[in-house]
Amino acid sequence: MSDFIQPYLEYGGEWAPLLIRAMGTTALLSICAFALSLVFGLLLSLCRHARSPVLRHFATAYVSLVRGVPLLAILFLLYFGLPGVGITFNAFSGAVLGLALAFAAQVAELFRAGLMAIPRGQREAALAVGFTPIQSFRLIVLPQVVRVIIAPLIVTFVSLLKDSSLASLITVNELVLTGRAMATEYFLPLQIYLAVGLCYFLIAWPFSLLSRRLAAPTG
Amino acid sequence: MTGISTFIMVLEGLLAGVGVTVLVTLASLALGVALGFGLALVRQFGRLRAAHFLIDAYCEIMRNIPALTHLFILYFGLASIGLRLSALVAAVLGLGLIGAAVTCDLFRSGFSALPNGQREAALAVGFTPFQAIFDILTPQALRIALPSLGNYAVQLLKDTSIVSAIAAPEIMFYARSMVTSSFQTTLIYVTAAGLYLLLSLPLMQAVRFLESRYGRLKA
Repeated sequence: MSDFIQPYLEYGGEWAPLLIRAMGTTALLSICAFALSLVFGLLLSLCRHARSPVLRHFATAYVSLVRGVPLLAILFLLYFGLPGVGITFNAFSGAVLGLALAFAAQVAELFRAGLMAIPRGQREAALAVGFTPIQSFRLIVLPQVVRVIIAPLIVTFVSLLKDSSLASLITVNELVLTGRAMATEYFLPLQIYLAVGLCYFLIAWPFSLLSRRLAAPTG
Repeated sequence: MTGISTFIMVLEGLLAGVGVTVLVTLASLALGVALGFGLALVRQFGRLRAAHFLIDAYCEIMRNIPALTHLFILYFGLASIGLRLSALVAAVLGLGLIGAAVTCDLFRSGFSALPNGQREAALAVGFTPFQAIFDILTPQALRIALPSLGNYAVQLLKDTSIVSAIAAPEIMFYARSMVTSSFQTTLIYVTAAGLYLLLSLPLMQAVRFLESRYGRLKA
């Protein structure tokens, strides 16, 4: 046991700054990707309710296509595959885009469920008292939708945060890739990957607790 | 013509991994569901406070740390202290242990959705507590949990792609190694994505069937 603890005492001071910086990258990556997936997801869910059948079919096809393909395949395709047809990303923006495209499908489903939970009368009443369609969506319907879906949205954010670890496989220098580099340098993979796991836990757990708090009927 | 023959070559290369993808999915699904069901029973019906605490802690740890980190701990971490798992065993164990935490929650919400009267009535008409749980409550809870278990299976199928990171020879592993030898990057990853889609679409269809069949029991 002391053999196991000892490296932490010996190298903890060297590891901490590396891991903290990597936590920053992971957090930034997740926040950017989540923000973008909210935008994409909202657009997709609006497409599903659009009058044009082309948009509706596109949105439906997009959601089932993306939900059927692993995130890793999407990331590899964007980062390694698209340069073959002349489109290049740096690793970070490739990861942001890949995560956002994948999670947009989940976010769109959430928005859709949220929109269905709001009675039609809300929109009709807003239009009747003189709001424009855009105002009635933005000021009346959307805030209520957000209230309904905030807890599952936070759960989605936690999944995205965890899946951001796959960005290590397209060379984004986040927690897992930093851990790999440290593991080869110090030859202490068990201690280092456990520390990496703890870093993820420290970011993710508060959000998990928050989502449960918000989902509870009293909250 | 060369295009078609290249495609066939790529497809053949990737098909070599389908067996392992399916095997890892099924084995970790079986492990996850069996373990998760056991944990849910203890958490829901057991009286031991310490067991509740341990199960809750287990679920939190499993669900707030990325699968990739768990896999690295099992595969690289344990090997460094002399416990060398094969890539396949580590993959099934890792995904299965995470799955146990996920399915434990799904089963528990199935049990929680049942009215208390079900158990009380079963006891009143002379079932033993054991019989009440297995003959009366479990079949109903299973029906409620089935659609979400199906969604979990779809997610799991896609998540098996990350075990390529510990060199388990599944679809993504062959895709990555083919990319380094041929330069058909885009074609290879698009074909890989298509293969996953072929595997997951029928599964998603089955989930939709389960939802339409059992979904309304949720209310």
